[in-house]
Amino acid sequence: MLASKRLGKELTKMHENLAPGITKIKCDDFQEWLMDIRVDDNPLYHGEVYRLKFTFSNGYPIEAPEVVFVRDETHPIPIHPHIYSNGIICLDLLDKSGWSPVNNVESVCVALQSMLASNTKNERPPGDEDFVRTNRQRPRDINFVFHDDKV
Amino acid sequence: MPAGNEYAAEQLKNAGNLKFREGDFEGAEQLYSQAIIKNNKNPLLFTNRANARLKLEKWEGVVDDCLKSVEIQRENMKAFFLLAQAQLSLNHPNEALSSALTAYDLCTKSPTQTNNAARITALVLQCKKAKWEIRERDRIRRRADLLAELEEKLEQDYKRQIFDVDEKMAAGTVGRVEGTEEKAELKSTWEKKVDDLRTAFAVSDPEHMAKREVPDYLIDGITFEIMHDPVVTKNGRSYERATIIEHLKRSATDPLTREPLKIEELRPNIALKEACEQFLEGNTGWVYDCGFGEDATDPRWAHLSSY
Repeated sequence: MLASKRLGKELTKMHENLAPGITKIKCDDFQEWLMDIRVDDNPLYHGEVYRLKFTFSNGYPIEAPEVVFVRDETHPIPIHPHIYSNGIICLDLLDKSGWSPVNNVESVCVALQSMLASNTKNERPPGDEDFVRTNRQRPRDINFVFHDDKV
Repeated sequence: MPAGNEYAAEQLKNAGNLKFREGDFEGAEQLYSQAIIKNNKNPLLFTNRANARLKLEKWEGVVDDCLKSVEIQRENMKAFFLLAQAQLSLNHPNEALSSALTAYDLCTKSPTQTNNAARITALVLQCKKAKWEIRERDRIRRRADLLAELEEKLEQDYKRQIFDVDEKMAAGTVGRVEGTEEKAELKSTWEKKVDDLRTAFAVSDPEHMAKREVPDYLIDGITFEIMHDPVVTKNGRSYERATIIEHLKRSATDPLTREPLKIEELRPNIALKEACEQFLEGNTGWVYDCGFGEDATDPRWAHLSSY
């Protein structure tokens, strides 16, 4: 119940205005939302649209949502040293220990936009191929080691 | 009490709990009743039966059981929690609010029961909303006779429809689950009609009839609800007590600054609490944001919100 009430209110707020470059795509239930983001001020990502899938548990916002990039014909997975090519994101904000319940769907989108905007490396995380081939865990169950907090 | 009765009552209670968990509330109620015949000094037997009766929507029975349970044990959070729900369903929001507040007090005093605080807080808000709605209806009725008449007609229609369903359920032509669903459907249709009606009147007189939005400073940054028992952190931000405690139990950090923060460091924000209460007491327009449950969002209101 906590999650559905809170998400209902987030939706009301998002009716009014969303930060630039963020679009809501599918928010018709309280389990899974799709959001699109653009990062036009970084030449690495200019002109592309990335699709994010948010999955909420009943404990949201006390518990973090699960957030991944999803790929289809028109939406690639952005290239970034903290984003695996299967869409899994390594960001402390989305980890159990880094999540705070004052975050919301929009603020997560903004955080990911700024993570992309400040990136200069056109590369995947080290060990991307192995990770993508072998990983069977859901993002929330992976224990990432955060190498640096700068990105 | 004859020897062995206490034991027999305990056995019956356990059997009742099992039925309750299986969703057989009628069976549970019967077993708790037999347990009470064996031992009428155990407050838990009464609250358990009240809980079963709550599921069966036997509101008066819930009230009786809760009062008996409180008679045996005064500091009885569960009894007041169940009592408030029944009183709310019986349309006695003042009594319900006072019971819910008692449950909340008992809950915050007891360190082991903080898990319940979030549910009780939600119930307190629900009672406040019900109280406010009755007052608001009176206000609107005084202002606009036509609107009042139309609302009354809608309410009569609704009550008749509910009565019909109850009759059918009592006669057994409609099942309990089916009937409950039908009643929920009728309720939401009726609420929507009242809302639409008020919308129509509000458009013609926005100054007095418009919905009010709860200002951000009265809203808990975690649940996005108006606060009932705000507490302030070291950096000066306030949150609803029950929700920030849920967060701190998982991660002892300030939600905004990530600095270490312990539950004992929270302080009540009395002035803010009063501001929240005063906002709900204020009698102009209807409060947009204190809905309970999954309120549909309605973009039509954007232009009417006043701050």
